[in-house]
Amino acid sequence: MSEALTKPQGFRFLGLDFDAAIKYFFGGNAFVAVAVLALITIFLFKEGFGFIAQNRRNLQVYRQAGLEYVDIMRARIDSHTKLGRQINGARLNLFKDLQKQGKSLDEINALLAPLDEFSGKFSDAAEGLRGLVSDYGDVAVGIKQRASEIQDRLEEKEMLIANGRANDAEKVVVPLVDFPGARKVILDTAPQYTELCGTMRTTLIGLINMPNPGYEMIPLEVRSRFKSDTLAFLDYLDQGKSELTAWNPDKPVGYFDGLVSFLTHPEWLTASFWQDWYGVIPLFVGSLFVSVIALLLAVPLGVSAAIYVNQIAGNREASYIKPAIEFIAAFPSVVLGFFGVAILGETIRAISGWHCLSWISFFPIAERLNATTAGILLGLMAVPTIFSLAEDAINNVPVHFKEASFALGASKLQTLVKIIIPAALSGIIAAVLLGFGRVIGETMVVLLCAGNRIQIPDFTEGLGAFFQPVHTMTGIIAQEMGEVPSGSIHYRALFMVAILLFLLALGINFLAQRIVRRFKISIG
Amino acid sequence: MNASENIFQEKSSAIFVVEKIIFWLFRIATYIVLIFSAYILLTITFKGIGSVVKLSPPFIDVPFLTKSPETLHIFQFEGKPMQLGDTEYRHFAATHTVNDPNESTVAHSAGGIFPCIVGTVLLVVGSMVIALVLGVSSAIYLSEYGGSGRIVEALRLAILNLAGVPSIVFGLFGFAMFVIYFKWNVSLLAGWFTLAFMVMPVIITAAEESLRAVPQGFREGSLALGATKWQTIRSNVLPYAMPGILTSSILGIARVAGETAPIMFTAAFVKTDQLPWQGLEHVQDFFFRGVMALPYHIYVVSSKIPQNEYTERMQYGSAFVFLLVVASIALTSMILRTRLRKAYKW
Repeated sequence: MSEALTKPQGFRFLGLDFDAAIKYFFGGNAFVAVAVLALITIFLFKEGFGFIAQNRRNLQVYRQAGLEYVDIMRARIDSHTKLGRQINGARLNLFKDLQKQGKSLDEINALLAPLDEFSGKFSDAAEGLRGLVSDYGDVAVGIKQRASEIQDRLEEKEMLIANGRANDAEKVVVPLVDFPGARKVILDTAPQYTELCGTMRTTLIGLINMPNPGYEMIPLEVRSRFKSDTLAFLDYLDQGKSELTAWNPDKPVGYFDGLVSFLTHPEWLTASFWQDWYGVIPLFVGSLFVSVIALLLAVPLGVSAAIYVNQIAGNREASYIKPAIEFIAAFPSVVLGFFGVAILGETIRAISGWHCLSWISFFPIAERLNATTAGILLGLMAVPTIFSLAEDAINNVPVHFKEASFALGASKLQTLVKIIIPAALSGIIAAVLLGFGRVIGETMVVLLCAGNRIQIPDFTEGLGAFFQPVHTMTGIIAQEMGEVPSGSIHYRALFMVAILLFLLALGINFLAQRIVRRFKISIG
Repeated sequence: MNASENIFQEKSSAIFVVEKIIFWLFRIATYIVLIFSAYILLTITFKGIGSVVKLSPPFIDVPFLTKSPETLHIFQFEGKPMQLGDTEYRHFAATHTVNDPNESTVAHSAGGIFPCIVGTVLLVVGSMVIALVLGVSSAIYLSEYGGSGRIVEALRLAILNLAGVPSIVFGLFGFAMFVIYFKWNVSLLAGWFTLAFMVMPVIITAAEESLRAVPQGFREGSLALGATKWQTIRSNVLPYAMPGILTSSILGIARVAGETAPIMFTAAFVKTDQLPWQGLEHVQDFFFRGVMALPYHIYVVSSKIPQNEYTERMQYGSAFVFLLVVASIALTSMILRTRLRKAYKW
């Protein structure tokens, strides 16, 4: 009898009975699934961390080849050019005024000739500095190129050694670059710079102090601002002298400078003849900006719709609206992106050109694909997420809360504002957070509609910034991934962007869960 | 005081006026969303339906659904404006002398979208098979065998969080792992796995939720009658969890079909000359070759070619077909969910 019970029966597989086999089958699948999901993280971080070292080398070369030194001078030129733009701005305003007075183009140009002469003189003052930067910039780039050749050779050598071809590896000649010797030429420019500072100071002070008909054409307030800015610029110019002397080519680049530069540098500049910068800031700001626009639209609309469907609308109406809004989630993002490219962008630009809106300073807008075009469509995509979760949260508020409030004589609105919304607030906030997560991770809409210009929006323009093209973190990955050689610094930089997105998504999810869990108790 | 006055009647005080206004604002907000989305849906339908449907029999524009995308040639012939796809143009040019100085071409704008549809179907089917086998098994393990230990709890949380990771990150991962590391290149297989792993967290979470919603008593009853664990799962848990698993997997299909970002650099080609099963040297080549996919095709035609009267047919046509397919899958899932919810209640 006992033998019959313990005797193995029926199906056996690898010494397991059927039930255990089933269990291990499921367990094995679960393990594969979890292992692959873990691999995602590992792959992302493996590729991403390579970036930190590569970018450090990139920065090292930047310093040792003397590009950083030349950039100190270049910054002065940029600042001078910016000053020149003030004159051009003033000229444009004068031009418009004269045009309004009905003057012909030739007349206007004749009238503005003194101003143009002044502007030319102002610009010429920096000619010497420009020459200096251009000449020695070329030298620095030359050094950098030699450094990159060496790097290539080193990599070739390593590759050969890794493949077990040590003999061939020895044949690879790695040329040496004498950084200190090569950049000495550049460092020797310091006296020239000092001299140029002196002449520029005399010229510019002369230009703004001596009576000059062109200068006096500039309206007084612009002129006084221009004058103080010019004086500030001259101080900045002099400050360059000490910066150049203090510059130390052998100052070590810290290991984490590669990471710090990624997180803080305000430029994402690739395939440049001068220096490649992988700073995530403009992309991050772009992503955030587009998401904020989307949420500014989606939060009021989504939450209102949730309140309306759950509290105000009749059962019949609600039973139509609810699935309709949930259905929006099924719109493929690439179709929405196409809609933005084909219709929405053009519509927004057309509206901005309406005569009745011409009082808005930044209208009509220049670009049809901009942060707002993408933001509107992303907002639409976020509405179903926010709506469903917020509606759930409102639905979970116990009915007796509402009944108690009514019994005390509160009106419907009072109950809504003082009882139901506060009780559901944690859920609504979580809904908004998850909506934000959805929006910031969206790729196709921003790739197609955000305009893809890598720059931090000019927030000094106020609301006009909303209509500037931006680039986003997701967009840059989609746009550049297909074109970069794998293993290059650019490739790895894109992985760093992906890691940032990954962490952001995890953070948002985690926060949403925390909020829901933490405030759940307060209802009961 | 007038006795006939109904003291319970709402007084039209300021409070009620404010209430009315605010409730109307909520209503307007709701309808703004609905109207805007309906506008998008209808615009794409109206502009795109012309590429697919004709007024004369057979009522469907067969070439659009059965041909490959081609370059469109626009030219004047004997004073008549002509628009021909690349193949037709070559036939035409072989027999006629085309001599138009203003002749122009637009890429991708002629022909049809057959290879894109085929590619999308292949991608969806393959990735859903992988995702469902792995995802549902994992869910069964986590819910029925895993228990609620710390490790399983942590796994659950990790999977839940992965569901929120942007699809482009999965695309990048697929690129690094399948395309580069496994050297599969841009291929159907790489696309399958990338899409499968993208949708897997969603499927695991949803399937586990429906498994856990089955009352514990169902399992206990079965076990008490002497059934084994697997018999219990098979007969007393899975049938009741099926509706939930089914709807979540259909939703998964809609998601897989609708995503573009993960396949951009793992599976999709801008243009292939052959259908996936044509010109194979070995059978396995089928898996290691990229395909055209409808969402990627829409991306290409909306970003790489200009918007004008010649390109509209292809642009709106593909967008319409794609929207129709994805929306009907999603709609099926929604209808199924309401139906099944009514059928299974305990």
